[in-house]
Amino acid sequence: MKSLTLRTLSKTYFDPYAGAHVTAVHDVSLTVRQGEFVSIVGPSGCGKTTLLNMIAGFIPVSGGEILLDGHAVNGPGPERGVVFQSFALFPWKTVLENVAFGPKMRGLARTECERIAREYLALVGLGHAAGRYPNELSGGMQQRVGVVRALANNPDVLLMDEPFASVDAQTRMTLQEELTRIWQERRPTIIFITHDVGEAVFLADRVVVLSKGRVLKELGVPLPRPRAWGLLMEDSAFKALSGQVLQLVRAA
Amino acid sequence: MTPLLKAWSLYARWTARYPAVRSIVPFIPVVALWAIVAESGMFPRAFFPGPLEVVRSFCSLVYKGILPDYLEDSVVRLAAGAAAGMALGIPLGVLVGLNSRARAMLWPILLFFQAIGDIAWLPILLIWFGFSLTTMTIVIVYTVLFPVVLNTALGVRSVSLDLHRAARSLGASRARVVWEVVLPGALPNIMTGLRNGLAYGWRALIAAEIIVGTSGIGFLMFDARRAGSVVEILLGMIVLGLLWYIVDSWVLAPIERATGQRWGLVTR
Repeated sequence: MKSLTLRTLSKTYFDPYAGAHVTAVHDVSLTVRQGEFVSIVGPSGCGKTTLLNMIAGFIPVSGGEILLDGHAVNGPGPERGVVFQSFALFPWKTVLENVAFGPKMRGLARTECERIAREYLALVGLGHAAGRYPNELSGGMQQRVGVVRALANNPDVLLMDEPFASVDAQTRMTLQEELTRIWQERRPTIIFITHDVGEAVFLADRVVVLSKGRVLKELGVPLPRPRAWGLLMEDSAFKALSGQVLQLVRAA
Repeated sequence: MTPLLKAWSLYARWTARYPAVRSIVPFIPVVALWAIVAESGMFPRAFFPGPLEVVRSFCSLVYKGILPDYLEDSVVRLAAGAAAGMALGIPLGVLVGLNSRARAMLWPILLFFQAIGDIAWLPILLIWFGFSLTTMTIVIVYTVLFPVVLNTALGVRSVSLDLHRAARSLGASRARVVWEVVLPGALPNIMTGLRNGLAYGWRALIAAEIIVGTSGIGFLMFDARRAGSVVEILLGMIVLGLLWYIVDSWVLAPIERATGQRWGLVTR
């Protein structure tokens, strides 16, 4: 795991219908330390998904640069794992094959791929589902697979784009707690995109509020770990911090 | 229990034990109606033979070895044409589906040539290649090609962008993405294209055999017309229908059950 630096990152589109350039992300600079958990939160249309797509290498940058351990990145690559809101599991592969996909692409032997996949499935308690197809799993189970599929590739940084937005509220809380647990065990560097203020504060070491493509404010989250909703829900520090972020997001 | 309910329960038990019954039962009224019309003497027997006469003709043609030979010729021609059509059509469909420049170049050409139906090629093919296997093969390949290309392209384009991105960010090269993501994702559409292509190809083959033929089911039927044997013409028609049913339910449907339906890409 290595540090990630964004240096005056910008994205402008040309909108042929409006006949004008639209700026989605404007001069965003940010450094994420190795092993840090950073949430990026903002209202819809603030450019947070565009920002993540640029870091992932899915779309080209218009200005600035993305440095991973000092080296500029270009295009998608296995050192930046991605977890999608749509889960994006391969429907024609079993759960095991999905998780083993990254190691397989690295050219590891079949038995080694399978060993890695089983190890990571066990991490989220899905060892029993290894042989099933994604469409046979619930949404929560599918996204657990999505998370460990990205982790099984041992990426330098894990990019998560509203990963829990399409599961029900109870499952979402469970997944959030599981993610903090996994993060404490493995300490991956995580950039977590969300519009949910409570989620952003609950998960992260640092919350970055994005507004109209710019960084509005960065806030540290000095809450103790391990974090659990049972403890934090009524915690005054958590509530104060969430309230502060919420005001920033609503004013954004 | 009324007799109707009894019959229903009998039917349910039999279809559960022998699934083939399910595909035979719908034909019983059709064959019965045919037999009744034939027996009624509404039409002269030579023009409108009954089911039994067709069965008798089937037995005699099988006994003489003509029907198996012709059937083999037709099926081999279709299989060869379909294989060549797929070998050309699937890569072309993937190219057109993935590359917008290739699509812009090839799409108008594809639509133009698609409009020139298979049979419309026969006059010029007959001049170029004569009454030969080449002529027939080209007609079949041509017929199979377009549904496969167009449906493959559609399937390729319907694979979600997130799946491409997921594969790329897990370290797959572009070529690997085609193999691991694009082709399986497009498979239900490829199957549809193949199904349409085979169905059109089957019809084109019969037409080609009627015009070009020296053997095959189409030739059998046209030859029977020359001899004035309505029985053999009907037999040929029935064989066409049966053969297609077998190809569909023994080859295509099982593949679809094992792939798209299993993966939840196709909902029933």
